[in-house]
Amino acid sequence: MRRHSRLKFHSSLGRTIFGVLLWCSAIWATRINADERETVATGGATPVARWLNDVAVLQVEPKTIQLHGLNRRQSIIVTARMHDGSERDVTRDAEYQVANTDIGKVFGATFVSQSSGETSVRIRLGAIQTEISVASQGVESPPSLGFVRDVMPVLSKAGCNSGGCHGRAAGQNGFKLSVFGFDPIGDYTALIKESRGRRLNVASPEQSLLLTKPTGLVPHGGGVRMSVDSPDFEILSTWIRQGMPIDSRQPSELVGIRAVPGSRILRFRDLQQIQVTAIYSDGLERDVTSAVAYSSNSPQIADVDRSGLVRSGEVPGEAAITVAYMGHVAAVRTLIPRPDAPVIPNHTGSSTIDQLVWQRLKTLGTPPSELADDATFLRRLALDTIGRTVSTAEIREFLRDTSLDKRSRMIERILNRDDYARFWSMKWSDILMVDRQKLGDRGAYEFRRWLHHQFATNRPYDEWVRSLITATGDSGKVGAVNLFRGVDSHDGLARVTAQAFLGVRLECAQCHHHPFDQWSQDDFFGLAGFFNGLQRQPVGTGRTLVYHAGLRETRIPVSNRLVPTRVLGGPAVTSLDGDPRAALADWMTSPANPWFARMAANRIWKHFFGRGLVESEDDMRTTNPASNEPLLDYLAERLVEQKFDQKELIREILESQTYQLSSGPNDYNRDDEQNFSRRIVRRLAAEVLLDAISDVTEVPEEFPGQPPGTRAVSLWDNRLPSYFLEIFGRPERTSPCECGRSSEPTIAQALHLMNAPEIEARVTSSTGRAARLAQSDLSEQQILDEICLATVGRYPNGAEREIAHDLFTQAPRSEAAVDLLWVMLNSRDFVFVR
Amino acid sequence: MAQRSSNSNLTVSRRGLIKVGSLAGLGLADVLRLQSALGSERPDVNCIFIFIIGGMAHQDMWDLKPDAPSEIRGDFRPIASAVPGTFVSEILPHTAKVTDKLAIVRSMSHNDPDHTAGYHVMMTGQHPGTGPAFNRNIANNNVHPSFGSMVAKVATKNGSLPPYISIPNFLNSGGPAFLGANCSPFVIESDPASPEFSVRDIVLPDGVTSDRSVRRQAALRKLNAYEQDVDRLGKQVQALDVFQQKAYSLMTSQSARQAFDISLESDKVREEYGMTSLGQCCLMARRLVDAGCRFVSIENGHWDTHRKNTMSLRDLLVPPLDQALAALITDLGQRGMLESTLVVLATEFGRTPKINHMAGRDHWPAAFSVVMAGAGIKPGIVYGATDQNAATVTDRPVSPSDFAATLLHVLGIDPQTTVQTPVGRPVQLASGGRVVQGLLT
Repeated sequence: MRRHSRLKFHSSLGRTIFGVLLWCSAIWATRINADERETVATGGATPVARWLNDVAVLQVEPKTIQLHGLNRRQSIIVTARMHDGSERDVTRDAEYQVANTDIGKVFGATFVSQSSGETSVRIRLGAIQTEISVASQGVESPPSLGFVRDVMPVLSKAGCNSGGCHGRAAGQNGFKLSVFGFDPIGDYTALIKESRGRRLNVASPEQSLLLTKPTGLVPHGGGVRMSVDSPDFEILSTWIRQGMPIDSRQPSELVGIRAVPGSRILRFRDLQQIQVTAIYSDGLERDVTSAVAYSSNSPQIADVDRSGLVRSGEVPGEAAITVAYMGHVAAVRTLIPRPDAPVIPNHTGSSTIDQLVWQRLKTLGTPPSELADDATFLRRLALDTIGRTVSTAEIREFLRDTSLDKRSRMIERILNRDDYARFWSMKWSDILMVDRQKLGDRGAYEFRRWLHHQFATNRPYDEWVRSLITATGDSGKVGAVNLFRGVDSHDGLARVTAQAFLGVRLECAQCHHHPFDQWSQDDFFGLAGFFNGLQRQPVGTGRTLVYHAGLRETRIPVSNRLVPTRVLGGPAVTSLDGDPRAALADWMTSPANPWFARMAANRIWKHFFGRGLVESEDDMRTTNPASNEPLLDYLAERLVEQKFDQKELIREILESQTYQLSSGPNDYNRDDEQNFSRRIVRRLAAEVLLDAISDVTEVPEEFPGQPPGTRAVSLWDNRLPSYFLEIFGRPERTSPCECGRSSEPTIAQALHLMNAPEIEARVTSSTGRAARLAQSDLSEQQILDEICLATVGRYPNGAEREIAHDLFTQAPRSEAAVDLLWVMLNSRDFVFVR
Repeated sequence: MAQRSSNSNLTVSRRGLIKVGSLAGLGLADVLRLQSALGSERPDVNCIFIFIIGGMAHQDMWDLKPDAPSEIRGDFRPIASAVPGTFVSEILPHTAKVTDKLAIVRSMSHNDPDHTAGYHVMMTGQHPGTGPAFNRNIANNNVHPSFGSMVAKVATKNGSLPPYISIPNFLNSGGPAFLGANCSPFVIESDPASPEFSVRDIVLPDGVTSDRSVRRQAALRKLNAYEQDVDRLGKQVQALDVFQQKAYSLMTSQSARQAFDISLESDKVREEYGMTSLGQCCLMARRLVDAGCRFVSIENGHWDTHRKNTMSLRDLLVPPLDQALAALITDLGQRGMLESTLVVLATEFGRTPKINHMAGRDHWPAAFSVVMAGAGIKPGIVYGATDQNAATVTDRPVSPSDFAATLLHVLGIDPQTTVQTPVGRPVQLASGGRVVQGLLT
């Protein structure tokens, strides 16, 4: 509201004040103070007086200020370290005093240079003070700006080159920029040469559309993107005035950015200023706090404004603030603990997983739920690990067992079932897109069989991935080569392998610089180079011979630029004898690879917890940190230590108390989905649910063309017509992830479970479970027990006993047994795993 | 009102409001005042979307070129229609009588002669992207959501029917893409022209009497109610409860059951639509929309007339369409539903100007026609034009994304509405499209 009215004021004054505005330091001062007042007025931190006496020491960033040119800015952030070790951002509370005000002044918490020379800034908070030195030079010659270095960051921050605006393939309203600024020269040309100079007018800069449009002085479809008194506006207008150089001098390359603080614990309704520094190849550093784009991944926990001021809300949790500047990204992690946290009991186990999870929960003030009971644990364990439940006899035995190690023994037993390989090869068939439509019958069958074999023999993960990446041979014999038939381009293979095995999503970088990550088109096509040269030779009906004919040149489409083949972040590969994929596999599966083990560990974690430590599980990047970094580090380390034995890691997870927690929330962890203080309830996957119906009714599903007794989980043909699998969300297998699998409930699902004649026939079948139980001499109570154990893996609760009583009173025994089974098949506890 | 109310707490539909009005003894004027107080005077607009699979020959139906050489103009002559000066093909005698209700768009075009891509672009407004050309496999619409799914996502639901229904089968490009299963169509996989027509899973299976069903459902409800505070278990668990209730009301609701029961229509009405698959689907669509469904898509196949084009169109394909479309428009008009129902007839592309050596026409995306009617579409007009051979668009071109933007606009959905893909990429529902003002009243 306030910002808006200020803007109106300026636009009405408009052009008259334009000329003097930028070079007049008096107006500068007014402006920064106005900004500062606004910040303080709307901030919600507790009054200084309440905690001033607790301050032990002040820490200031930067330690020294070095500026080059007039009106150059350096933001200052001041952190108070309290006696209890906690920290507090006091940037807006401290007082700043410049020793020699001819050299420069501090407005708000920003030093602005006025002349060359050296001085110092004294920073005082209550009785505590500290000092930083200032060196200002080159003020006499005004700074000259360049397009790439100064103007493009402004356009990026204002969102001009985003995909929805001028970055669209067709541009917007005749003005087109490259999306996220991947083509600076093209953008420069678009600005300078097109539109007959209306965009930029050196003789009369204030008439330039580049200024009048984003400020809303003339109507702009994209709305008002900056105000006339913003630093961004100053940069654009100064640049026009200076003759719009593409770059002021030999451009030194931007090599990175640094954001402080790296992480910070905040209180409810707290404020934290971020400071961002750009680092150039010539060693120069520059404060770009006001030039970068900020975004929060959880705005309800902590939001950030355009100036880099973070504001926490009243929801405990964690938010990562992404800082993006010209293709470089950094993250600031904020953590907001619950202020009224109860005392969190220690876990009783000795596992490192639990220690790391509990540590996190203590920091957040979120107590975990209770341990799940035996029946819930067993059903969860079986469905999560092998995709099916165990028999009612086994459940009864497990519930009767009073020994202390019964859960461990059961974990061992489950891990050794044959169903393990069926279930995990289905999972990986989704990820690796084992699609009959693309691979044909033989290809899909062989690929699935190959995957099954890897899990049946518990082959180390790094080994089988290496075999897969370097697979060579006849697709009808070597199942793994079907990866290269399903994905038949080198760029496609770069995308698929990077996402599936490294959790690096390069999709964006195929066409432009990745907007939230460090990857460019060069990185993308550099990686694709390893697959360039793969040959696919037909050798018979539906069969292909796949081999690599050796390294060759890779070019970026459209620009047709040659790029060297190289691994992500690695040096160019110039010559490689034979199959270059071996070098790629070496790098990829090496314990030193920063993504490989983390990705695998995170995928396994997500499998058992329903949410990755990094979420989405295959989106590993600085700007998407894990909700528990030490835990992910630990899991990845364990995987490496155990030589990528997947079952070892799974065993350790299953043994943890964290895995065995109940899904029922307590008063504090109801909203927790990322810290694993309780179990997330999940629906059974389509195939698992269909198999469960077979098991529960004791009438197997029949699939056309498949041997009797085939389980849905074992199907190699993902296109086998099945209304059931379709509506319950069987994935299409068209992207290299598990995201194609849907577990969202729909009306069609509910109707199908209730009324489908196919399911009714199995519930009522004379050879089915209900008929068998009704014909036995079991009592009604015993029939109920059996049905509950079979469907929901536990003995009946009060409601189920009442329902059974009603049904057995209202209808003949055989009908009541069927109806009871029907009710349980439609129940929440059958469809979901707790 | 309904479209806007998705962002507020106002979920009363116009129809519901009128019911409330009559119950509470309010006069119509009061209801209208209340309506405008609720934010809009516009009724909910629903859509019946008929998709012709294979590619509809525009020059043989909607955009005839009688002056072109015979190998181009084909065998059909133009006939006069209800709008003076507007001519359609002689094989559309019924439709010719209702052209005063239609907008015939003759200036559609896109650049992909592939069935799958054409299907996708015309049911979503977006091209599915590059790839090996021709009959490439685009899995069920995994690129952009279909119009029906967009409606399911943003429009208010009325009554017990699902918001988006497909009949008589799933339309391959009619899926939700990244909007998720919740926006999938409810598919009636049955042909209402068949005597055995029934909607899958909404009727009780054989052997289950309604007494028994009531017993089962009561038991299930009792079990569901046993656990308190279910929403703490998460959104999915809550959703299952909601959908079970919806499923049950679909099974038991008189209005839903009646909507699906096409035999309630008199033989006379059924025969007016034609006892064909397309005719009965159109009639069913009218029933569904009347009962609160927001978007019904109907597929009609086998229009890929690479051979024997004249014979196929004249004897097999066009008569059912002609009869059904004319009956639908007339029926909606008589019932006062046309102002709140958008009817669309669309297809992948047109067909080649020149008749090939098999007396057929091949794929031609460079110019083709679609037909729209009702709900604020300007009636009785021809929009745009093609050259003397019906080969290229010469006047007021309409792209698939313009078509999408216009369709959404008419349905009360802002075409610029932004949704996010799973990777977080913001996507506009009708990206790049502009609302064709010339098609609106």
